[in-house]
Amino acid sequence: MTHRLVLAEDNFLVREGVRRMLVGSESVDVLASCGDLGEALEAIDRLEPDVVLTDIRMPPERRDEGIMIAAHCRRRHPGMGVVLLSQYAEASYVRTLLTEGTQGRGYLLKERVADLDELLAAVDAVAAGGSVIDPKVVETLVTGRSLAGDSDIARLTPREREVLACIAQGRTNAAVATELVLTQHAVEKHINAIFTKLGLSGDRTNHPRVRATLMYLAEGQR
Amino acid sequence: MTADPEDRPGVRVLVVDDQSAFRRAAVLLIRSASGLTMVGEAASGEEAVTMARSLVPDLVLMDVRLPGINGPEATRQILAERPDTRIILMSTYEPGDLPGDLEGCGASRFLRKQDIDAAALLA
Repeated sequence: MTHRLVLAEDNFLVREGVRRMLVGSESVDVLASCGDLGEALEAIDRLEPDVVLTDIRMPPERRDEGIMIAAHCRRRHPGMGVVLLSQYAEASYVRTLLTEGTQGRGYLLKERVADLDELLAAVDAVAAGGSVIDPKVVETLVTGRSLAGDSDIARLTPREREVLACIAQGRTNAAVATELVLTQHAVEKHINAIFTKLGLSGDRTNHPRVRATLMYLAEGQR
Repeated sequence: MTADPEDRPGVRVLVVDDQSAFRRAAVLLIRSASGLTMVGEAASGEEAVTMARSLVPDLVLMDVRLPGINGPEATRQILAERPDTRIILMSTYEPGDLPGDLEGCGASRFLRKQDIDAAALLA
């Protein structure tokens, strides 16, 4: 299936490189490539793409324009997927992004843009309403909590940390089982143990668990 | 009269990137910038060494990850023949995640692709 996409990135080399790469893939139709917040919002409202792929820092302020785009889409175009490209793993961006829900949201490090397969996988996932968080970002969040002396994280076994990282990336129980060579039953047991140790509650089988896990990891890291 | 952009003087640039999308984007960037002139494009480290020998560019914009010999190794070989060539290594990845000896290969500097513009190439 071809996804209709709007691209927003202020750096010419990256914008043009990514545009050409996506067009060459033939699974994405790049409707517009924009260089600042105003252009991007105008294109999104006019073209109503399936997915927006956007840098976080862009003109006019070069602060959190990508986060503003994600919030705009959540309000005005609830079914639209948004993949944010970030230079660094910043907990505050992850927290802000996910405050309004994980459905159809992705957060990738900008270094992934040259990897077409990873980029297309993220576009596919958010277009389908799923969520994608860069594994390196999750690792940074887990490490950050560990370094901050989080006693709950310290109580997790190494295997539970691996399962936690998979959940935070939006994997299903079946996918976690395949990745870690476990039975689904074992995965479910690990997830129950993690949620209990971290004091998380709610749906342990669907999207809310991704949000719960990520919010937990991002909370307190400023 | 306006000079043909292809004939204008300036810093003569060779672009090296195995990903055609990013290589073409870099070519467009250089062609649109005053003070820079495109002289060639290569898709591998070996091709970069051969083209640098024949084209004698002032500046080589070289991706780090390349098929065959990588960017730092191609840099070393080009500089062994022409030590006055300026070579900028580039990647979307952070230096710590990249192969080769970025510091010791003799390149003028390393730039992330997301930080590259005409001013950065002329600096």
